[in-house]
This record gives sequence, C-alpha cells and structure tokens, in this order.
Amino acid sequence: MTTGRLPTGLIAVTSLLLLLLALGAALSHSFIQPGNLLNVLEQATDLAIVGLGQTVVVLTGGIDLSVGSLISLLAVLTSGLIDSDASMVLPVVAGVIVLGALLGAINGLTVVWLRVHPLIVTLGSGAVLQGITLLYAKGPVGGVPDGFDFLAYGRVLGLPVAGVAVLLVFVIAALLLRLTPFGRYVYAVGDDPVAASLMGLPRRRVLVVAYAVSGACSALAAIYLVARFGSGQPYTGANYTLASITPVVVGGTVLAGGRGGVMGTLLGAYLVAVLNNLLNFLDVSSQMQLVVQGLIIILAVSVVIDKRRVVA
Amino acid sequence: MRRRIVVSGLAAVFALASTGQVMADGYTGAPRTFLFNPATKLCFSDTAKYKKAGPYTLGFSNAGLGDSWRVVMLHSMEKAAAEHKDKIAHLLITDAGHDDAKQVADIQDLVARKVDLLIVSANTEKAVDPAVTRAMRAGIPVVMVDRRVQSNNFVTFVTASDAMMGRLFAQWIVEKLHGKGNVVILAGQAGSSPSENRVGPAMEVFSQYPGIKILDTVYSDWSPVKGKQVMQAVIAKYGHSIDAVWSAHGLQVPGSIEAFLEAGFKPGEIPMHTTADVNGPLQMALKYKIPMLEIGYPPAMGGVAINVALQVLNGARVPCTYQINSQIALTDGDATASVKPDLSIKDEVVPDGPADMLVTGGMGPGYNPSSYSVDYPK
Repeated sequence: MTTGRLPTGLIAVTSLLLLLLALGAALSHSFIQPGNLLNVLEQATDLAIVGLGQTVVVLTGGIDLSVGSLISLLAVLTSGLIDSDASMVLPVVAGVIVLGALLGAINGLTVVWLRVHPLIVTLGSGAVLQGITLLYAKGPVGGVPDGFDFLAYGRVLGLPVAGVAVLLVFVIAALLLRLTPFGRYVYAVGDDPVAASLMGLPRRRVLVVAYAVSGACSALAAIYLVARFGSGQPYTGANYTLASITPVVVGGTVLAGGRGGVMGTLLGAYLVAVLNNLLNFLDVSSQMQLVVQGLIIILAVSVVIDKRRVVA
Repeated sequence: MRRRIVVSGLAAVFALASTGQVMADGYTGAPRTFLFNPATKLCFSDTAKYKKAGPYTLGFSNAGLGDSWRVVMLHSMEKAAAEHKDKIAHLLITDAGHDDAKQVADIQDLVARKVDLLIVSANTEKAVDPAVTRAMRAGIPVVMVDRRVQSNNFVTFVTASDAMMGRLFAQWIVEKLHGKGNVVILAGQAGSSPSENRVGPAMEVFSQYPGIKILDTVYSDWSPVKGKQVMQAVIAKYGHSIDAVWSAHGLQVPGSIEAFLEAGFKPGEIPMHTTADVNGPLQMALKYKIPMLEIGYPPAMGGVAINVALQVLNGARVPCTYQINSQIALTDGDATASVKPDLSIKDEVVPDGPADMLVTGGMGPGYNPSSYSVDYPK
C-alpha cells in the first residue's frame, strides 16, 4: 500500500544527512570527532521523540498542534510534583506519561466526536493546555533530585543514554507499525478514511490511539527536557509545536496522511540536529542558521513531493 | 602574605578591566561597589587551576540579540577581543535566539570545539544551569555576563549594580529637594527584577526623609509610549506639584518628558529626572534644561567579560560577582553633597546620534550600532 513510495523520502533524507556529514568532515576536523557526533545524537532526542508522535498522527491524516503546550504542562508537572524528592521520581514519571496519553486521547475523541478538523481541535486544546500550565506555574517550578539529569546527559559505555533509548523506541515503533494490525490500520485510515470505514476498520479507535501515542511522546519529551534543564518552565515546549512537523515532512511522511514512516522522522530529526551543530562549527550566525534550516526543509520536502507528482 | 597576593591580583584585574571602558573622561578606577562594600570578607574564586599559556580559544554562548542593549554588549565584546589579538586566537560566538534548548546545545558544541574558557549570558537562570555546571565539572572555567545561572557553578559573574542605581537616584533627588518635595516613581515592568531591584533600594532611601512624598508609582514597561501614557495621567492629576521623576531607566524617560511638554511645561519648568544608558533623554535634558542624573547598566560589561576571562586564564583571583563601574553623569550645576559627577551629561551625550542609541557601551565616538564591524579573531 505504501511500500512503493516510502523509500523516496528515506533516500532523500539519508542522502542529505550523508552529504552534511561529508561536508562537515571536509570543513571542520573537530566536527567529525566521535565525541561531537555523540553529542548530536543526544541533541536530537527531544525533536525525535515529539516527531515520533506527530508522525503517527500525520499518518492518520491528522495533525497535532497541541504538542508544544502539552510538553510545557507535563514539564512543569514533572518538576513541580517531584519537587526534588527522589522517592517521587518513579510515580510522577509514570503518572506524567499516563496523563500525556490521556490528554492525547481526549484530542482524538474530540476529533472523532465533533468531526472538527484536527488542526482546529488541537489548536484549541493547545491554547487550553497552555492556559492551565500558566495557572499552575508562572515561572520555573519545583526541581529534580541529583542524578535525574542522567536521562538527558548520561553516558553508558560512552554512548548517550537518551540517544540510544530514542533509537530503540523508533525501531520498536517502526516494527509495530509494520507488523501489527493497528499499524496497518493507521496507514489505511490516513490513505482513505472512507474506504477504511467501509472495510469495517476501527477508524475511530485508531484515531484515538494515534493521538494518545502523540500525547505519550510529548510526555517523554517533557521528562527529557526537565532532566536537561533541571526544572520545568511554563514555555518549555513552545517551540516544539511547529518544530515537530519538520522531521516528519523532511523524513518523507506526507501531510495528507497514509504515506511515510517513523524511520524517516528519526533521520529527519538527526538532519536538523546535525545541521544546527555543523552551522555552529562553521561559525554561521544563528540568524543565518534559520535561513539555511528553512531552505533545507523546503529542499528535502520538494524531492518527495516531486516524486509524488510524477506518480500521481 | 596571602592577602597581598589577593590585592595585587585584584589590582591587575581592575587595571585590565578598566582599560576596556574607554569612556572619555569618566571614572576608570576599580569598581566602587567593590571598594565601598562594607563586608570585610568577600567571595573570591581561586583560578590558579585554570592558568594556562595562550593564545586562547574563548567561547561566548549568547542568549540572543533582539534589543539595542544586547547588540552593544556583543560589539563591546568583539572590540575587546580585537584589542587582545595577541592573547586570543579565537572568539567563537553562538547565539541561542532566546531558546533554552539551543543554548544548551550551543554550550555542548563550544565545549566540543575545545574552548579554553566559556563566557555565558544565560537565556534563563534555571534551564541553562545544568549545561554550565557540566562545563565547569569538565574543567572549563565559565564567566557569566549580564545574566547568571541559578547555582554558583561559575568562576565569576560580570554585572552592574541595580541597588546602587536605585539608591543614588533617590539620594540625589532628596538632596536636590533639600529633603522636601513630591516624587513620582516611573518604574519599568512590574515584577521584573531590574525594576524591583532599583525601586526597592530607592524606597529605603526616600523612607528616611519624612518631607519626601511619593505621589504615585507607575509602570512604563520600559517603553516610551507607555511611559508617556502613564505620565500624562499623573501630570493631569498633580501638575506643577511634581518636583521630581525617579525613573528606573532611560528607555521610558523620553515619553515622560514629552508628556510634560505637551502639558504646557516650558523649558526650565520640567522637573528633574533620573535616567540610564539611552542617548535621547540626555539630548532632551540639554534642550529643555532638565536637571538629570544618568547612571547606567553599561553594555560595556561585554568587553569587561573578555578582560576578566583573560585574568582567569592567567590564574588571577577574581571576585565571585564582578560589578563593573557605572558612570555617574550629571547636568552641569546639579551635583549634590552625595552625588558628584564623573562626567558631564554634555560630554556623555552624542548630540547628533540617534535618540535610542546607548551611550554607555564604551564604544568610543562615532560608534554606530547598525554599521559597526570589527576584525576580531574568529
């Protein structure tokens, strides 16, 4: 159903990634050092995880614009409720992941019940969640015990814990999407919702679960950011709403749904992280970094779209 | 013996640091907030372990640009680096665009590029703290400038004193009014630390003089437009009974002066104002004969941070908080018993310069922020 188109995006993002790495190796000796590349692996964590949830939603033909606010809310709850008490870490982390999934599921239920476009639903719920976040915390709140930052900065055998965990999560997600009925339904629902319903696929349940997955991914990103920053802040997630769409589309997942996959998103997140890092190493000003980033996104996506046009 | 080492080390720091501020005739001595500090023991950082031979690679992780103060601060830093080309091989600058996640990654990248010392202006106090702490733990000395992190995991923090500004502004007004008169407090943004940290100490000064009456405290949000609006309301209510306007900074002062002019105040009738950093209020003080006291939060601290960084790499002890000098500039004839000018506002103003430019960057005459460029070691 999708196998014919999937590789185009993957090939595009992989070639761009390799091109950047080769360019970096040629231009800067310190860029290509393993120490730096492992840093990049770690720096891609937040974007990759949020992008994973976003990919699943986009595959169903939807979009989740509440991820930024959801990350902010779950970040302030994580550090606010742990409040530097080591015994609270496990219950709060578990609770935050469940809460993220629940709030995501509510997004999905709203889309299904009200039959309003997910863009509107999640734009609205994002505003609600940001409001609640600010009611709970006007500034940085609470804290985490020593050692919690291991999640964000920790190394085992020299490898970044977060980066390796992300890799594992993506492999599992890719397998689930390929091998389980739910995974196949996600593609079917996104490809042609009417046909999916006529075939008797559980379209509504698939949508609710997809948004729940996005919510849970936002929770994981929030926990990672709290570990990285030492506390949650009410605008911690603000940048992620739109940023989370970049790795998705760069990785070859089509916004219309039904085509694409999570491994492309992972590579898309790596591409963004490598690009930011390389531009730093080449002393490109951050103002110029934005310009280059934007151009690369358009370039990467245009390759995919072009191919689709030919196919269509 | 130990004490002598401390003192000579300090003298070296200050001597170097003060050359970074090339204010024409201003005060160039050791920071007064340090000399006048009544505590007998101050916090010092021992930097012997950071001593190494140059030339050095310095990294600067900036929170971001976006306002004129931060632009001048960056220029001041580039200028100081250019002046020390013999000691500095590279000054690597990153800009986080006011994004915590990017600043954390920027700091990691600068460490990966093997900087000898990191200068950091933190986007937020808490979020950048773990990254700064990790750099310190990895043996890289960190000098904070303008915005610190929450923990004390850095070598020194280069800043200026809000409390000194607030107190001197208030003391000058009290003495100009001979202890009797009506004062309007034109604050910045409610709840913002620079505003509160200036207003609080000012009120402690005013509260010692029963003849001083605070008519109103209004908030300008650091904006001349908002400053004008709130002052129009205050002037409508109190008119000529206003004897002084205590303003927390210079950004809102042009709005206040315009409000007085539009209410029919003639040159010479507008009450005294306090101000900081900005050129426009100084131009207006001379044009409309307004008694004015300027004490800045100088963006020259960017350049000072470079000099302090070189001292750290030279193994000199530095105070944990390095409060740089703010010049005390007054309109002629307005000195009081406690507040004597380091320079005249006549000499500090850039008469033909843009009204919104900052005059306290130590950038010398002819400086234009929009076209400035210096060949610093990249």
